[in-house]
Amino acid sequence: MGIKARFKTFATRPELKELRFTLNMIKKSPLSLIGMGIVLFFALIAIFAPVIAPPLPGRDPYIIPREGFSRTPKPPSENHIFGLAQGGYDIFYGCIWGTRTAFYVGLTVIVCATLIGIVLGSISGYYGGIIDEVLMRITDVFFALPGLILAMAFAVAFGPSLDSVIKALILVWWPTYARLVRSEVLRIKNLEYVEAAKASGCSDFRVIVRHILPNAIFPILVVASLDTGSVVLEAATLSFLGIGAPYGYADWGQMVSFSRNWIVGLPGNPYAYWYTFVIPGIFIFMFVLGWSLLGDAFRDILDPMIRRR
Amino acid sequence: MGLGAYIARRLLLFIPVLIGVTILIFLISMSFTPEQRAVLYARSPKQLRSLRQLAQKYHLYDPIHIQYINWLNNVLHGNLGWSITANMPVSQAIIEFFPATLELVLYSAPFIYIVGTRLGIISAVKRDTAIDHGTRVLAIIGWALPTFWSAILLLSVFYGHLDLFPPGRLGEAATRYVQSPKFTRYTGLNTIDALLNGEIWIFLDALRHLVLPVTNLVIVTSALIMRVMRSSMLETLSKAYITMARAKGLDEKEVINKHARRNALIPVITVTGSLFATMICGLVVTESVFNYMGIGYWAAKAAVCLDIAAILGFSLFVAIVFVVTNLIVDVLYAFLDPRIRLG
Amino acid sequence: MAQILYTFTLLKNKRVNSKHIGKIREIRMIWKSKSAITKMQALAIVIIIVVAAIAAYYLTRPTPTLIKNPDTIITTVYGPPSTLDPAFAYDGIVQIMNVYETLIFFDKEHIDRFRPVLATEVPTIENGLISPDGLTYIFPIRKGVKFHNGNPLTPEDVEYSFERMMVCDPDGGPVWMLLQPLLDRYCTRDENGNIAVSAEEIDKAVESNATHVIFHLKKPYPAFLQILSLSVGVILDKEWCIEQGCWPGTWNNWTEYNNPSTPPLDTKMMGTGPFKFEKWDRSAGEFIIVRNEDYWGEPAKVKRVVWKFIPEWSTKIMMFLKGDIDIIADVPKAYIQQLEGVEGIVCFKDLPLLAIITMVFNFNISSTSPYIGSGKLDGEGIPPNFFADKYVRLGFAYSFPYEEYIQEAYLGEAKRIATCIPDNIPFYNPEQEMYSLNLTKAEECFRKAFNGELWEKGFKVTVPYGIGMDYEEETRIALEMLAENLREVNPKFQLIIQGVELTTYEAQLYGEDPSPVPLNAAAMWWADFADPDNFFSGFMGSAGMYSWNMYFSTPYIDELLANGSSTLDPEVRREVYYELQRIYHDEVLGIPLVQLIGRWYQRDWIKGWYFRPVWEEVVLYSELEKGY
Repeated sequence: MGIKARFKTFATRPELKELRFTLNMIKKSPLSLIGMGIVLFFALIAIFAPVIAPPLPGRDPYIIPREGFSRTPKPPSENHIFGLAQGGYDIFYGCIWGTRTAFYVGLTVIVCATLIGIVLGSISGYYGGIIDEVLMRITDVFFALPGLILAMAFAVAFGPSLDSVIKALILVWWPTYARLVRSEVLRIKNLEYVEAAKASGCSDFRVIVRHILPNAIFPILVVASLDTGSVVLEAATLSFLGIGAPYGYADWGQMVSFSRNWIVGLPGNPYAYWYTFVIPGIFIFMFVLGWSLLGDAFRDILDPMIRRR
Repeated sequence: MGLGAYIARRLLLFIPVLIGVTILIFLISMSFTPEQRAVLYARSPKQLRSLRQLAQKYHLYDPIHIQYINWLNNVLHGNLGWSITANMPVSQAIIEFFPATLELVLYSAPFIYIVGTRLGIISAVKRDTAIDHGTRVLAIIGWALPTFWSAILLLSVFYGHLDLFPPGRLGEAATRYVQSPKFTRYTGLNTIDALLNGEIWIFLDALRHLVLPVTNLVIVTSALIMRVMRSSMLETLSKAYITMARAKGLDEKEVINKHARRNALIPVITVTGSLFATMICGLVVTESVFNYMGIGYWAAKAAVCLDIAAILGFSLFVAIVFVVTNLIVDVLYAFLDPRIRLG
Repeated sequence: MAQILYTFTLLKNKRVNSKHIGKIREIRMIWKSKSAITKMQALAIVIIIVVAAIAAYYLTRPTPTLIKNPDTIITTVYGPPSTLDPAFAYDGIVQIMNVYETLIFFDKEHIDRFRPVLATEVPTIENGLISPDGLTYIFPIRKGVKFHNGNPLTPEDVEYSFERMMVCDPDGGPVWMLLQPLLDRYCTRDENGNIAVSAEEIDKAVESNATHVIFHLKKPYPAFLQILSLSVGVILDKEWCIEQGCWPGTWNNWTEYNNPSTPPLDTKMMGTGPFKFEKWDRSAGEFIIVRNEDYWGEPAKVKRVVWKFIPEWSTKIMMFLKGDIDIIADVPKAYIQQLEGVEGIVCFKDLPLLAIITMVFNFNISSTSPYIGSGKLDGEGIPPNFFADKYVRLGFAYSFPYEEYIQEAYLGEAKRIATCIPDNIPFYNPEQEMYSLNLTKAEECFRKAFNGELWEKGFKVTVPYGIGMDYEEETRIALEMLAENLREVNPKFQLIIQGVELTTYEAQLYGEDPSPVPLNAAAMWWADFADPDNFFSGFMGSAGMYSWNMYFSTPYIDELLANGSSTLDPEVRREVYYELQRIYHDEVLGIPLVQLIGRWYQRDWIKGWYFRPVWEEVVLYSELEKGY
């Protein structure tokens, strides 16, 4: 064929057509665009954190600089546009650098937990029988592990740090995904197209990866996208108990924890310390919203059952 | 295979799971030195001088397997050890703390489920409309709120300002009555016990104290159910048999309820199952803020203080809860989707 | 919904025609079809109605009287007790002190004057009840007193109570306070855990006859009467104790009852006091005592006292503001503004507590310590004998911003002290010199340290603190301020602050010998009794809690301590304790941070409270009343 003809066949290939359709759908769905926008916005903040909130020279940039040691929070002012949390920690700095922490913690935990969950869940659901039993019992064991204990043990074994917390959270989170994947695989594996794939001689691996998983993944996306936010909050609880990031680390969860005893405000002015919890709270909320809209967008746009309704 | 045999087999396999959990926790607790674990037995800071003696007294220097076997032996005789954080035997602590959590979960779970699924269905049916967007954003606000945040805010508005719904499980007068010999304890749940004793005012008082914690839990957790329901519903609604049902002329409401919903529920059940089990194992923050001290509060304290006996006992309890919940969920799968074989 | 309302308005106006009938049919179909959406709306309405009904019920009830729970005092002071057994209880004794009674007790707010309680007279040298050599104390016992179970109080009960304390003597318990004066020992067991006293010794220490109880001390002990006013001096009912499985009072196998793992009286109380023990609900966090109607003295003014243990600060303060709690006392300094200027609340300020916090230097750090870096004087660590060099200690002492620290960490509400005793303890030297912030002097001293090497090479030391410990935030602030100032003196001086898991920290600090912790950043002590010996022995003696594994104690110090605590002569004692204070200051054994100042908040309808500096949490609730 001539070049022109080749190009024309290329342009009408089904994959490209699908891509164009996908892009079209994205354009048409305002919420997906908003979701992507929000995540992109936070990504930019994370990348440009050193520029937006310059760290003090010679200090660890993840430790929030303190302005004095005031035991009470101070309201927003010229030098500190979001105000100071208890202990004189700059809320603006904490929120900006906290974006990096949020991405790091949230994504690491979710991606690892999901991967482990997918692998174990799909093997369990597909093969059934003894493998299923054993894997599910192992999942039960991990389900039953109280996350707090695990986190404490890691903190003692590896030293209290964000990394210990991440490891502990991964171990606590993956069972939910495993069971979710397994239930989806159970449902799908008996459908006709799977049988067709098997009949046409696909290896098990191929069947799982190319046929079952792409259809099983959508509930995971939904749960995972919400979970990125909850991971940040969980890590915060652990930091609060002293097993996570060190005190004064730039982490939204820590900033929110700082606000815990100030929510009641002052007599006569219940919102005196609004900035301590509203501002970090907004960051967390927008982050969670962005990821969940994104998760929905993936599903709405990519799930072949839903896209062309 | 038959349902009965399936359940029996699952319950048998339960035991290796329990052993697995306890061994794991025991190993984890060994990462603390005997002196560190002895700190817990010190009843006051001035006692810390005698850490070595304390460690010896409580056999903390024995080899791991000896300590484990001792513990296992005790458990099989019904003795789960002594919880230092609770100042009572572990088994008693579980019995005393659990009813509060159970009461909270029993009253919140239905609301979370109903609110979550209804919102999810509406969202799916009215996809891409303002209602859909609005509901989703609202649910996510609730989810992203740190639990203590919404809890304290609720308390400060409805108690701090309006003095309507106070913290705690019961008011002063009701507490005095409940502790007196005139009142018999059956279950430990104030609402049910009040009804069984025929004291309606205590029942109302207990409900009054439940309003805020339940509201808090609903706000903070329904987003999860809502989103899974929505996604699952969307998938189901695009299936061929739904189009068929519509073509047959069935009323849209019937299509949704009779045909779509049942099949959309499977992933929702999984998630609800884990959510329920997680909640039963304690709602630390809600319990803390509302003075509704239940098992979550105790377990968190035990974890932070390295109360090993309590941690082990609690883990056994959690293991039982999760296994039972998973069993129920798996049985429900088969019930909802006959294509899934239990084999 | 809208359709239904529309239909109702139509029906009201009776303008019904075929169009409307069609609409009505539609509506009936909607109701019948039980659609998902209408059902949800209905459910939502039902829930809202139920909640609104409950709310309305409570809102429209007649406003309750201003004072909530008028016959009950609800207090949140000083957390749940760890045990109710007086032989074990060290902190958390306020409940014990309201149900049990002692022979004598502090006279109101005085800590050096007493009034008789279960005794009829307070022994003094003048009335002959204390022997001239200070070794014998005689107490006439009150008649007609009954325990809460009806058993009469006899001198035999008194003898039993004290002997039982000494027989039990659990590890880390309070009994050492009795053993010191009566047996001149800290413990009934030696370092290997073997019994080191004889039955005879204990038996002879306390004797009784039909009307009196006699104590025989091994040496004159100035604080003996104070000790008898504390929880180690409460009187138990011998019969009842034996019923509960305590030591039967005989000597043939008394060692079996020594150092039990579980306190036999852990959850039970049987006293003579103005209140009876009713209930301790450990899961709900409530401790309740009720008025003893058969009390031998003036009855309590309120019917019931309830301790509530509320974990969440915001909830606690809300309940206090609403009047559901009557007393809060442990308000962290950071939150006092949340209680400023509120109607109905009374605040007692500037209460001088008998409590101090200091930093303690470790002269001989364990060589395997994770906190000393390289372990050498090379700028990347410190050698184990770092603080043994006096110039280093001086440098640190001059680098600490004492005044600023109190402003920042305590909002100004704390006092400076020169050494390790508070200023309201007898024999405090008001003229004792103190160090102040002086970075020039600090530099001078550091330059002389380690023959000038330190200034060249610098140092790097990690100072840990326990995460979740008391005064965690204040400690952090102190360390950060110190670190900043050290850096200013010489940029090569690095002090790293590290939060360590609490049990690890406590084990390292108090359980290991030598301790790996270079600097104890928050050595805190609340007085057991108002006597200087209580502080000095803990901070300076070779067996002191804060000094035993820090290696700075000397035989001379021990000698002074022994002399000071075995005489009643105020001149001798003054000499001894002034000398000890001088040594502490001149040798810079530590950096004294603060003496604590307390606050007490209560609702204005509580009357009768007063402040007593020692064991200030021991409020006798029989003296409080609730009303206007």
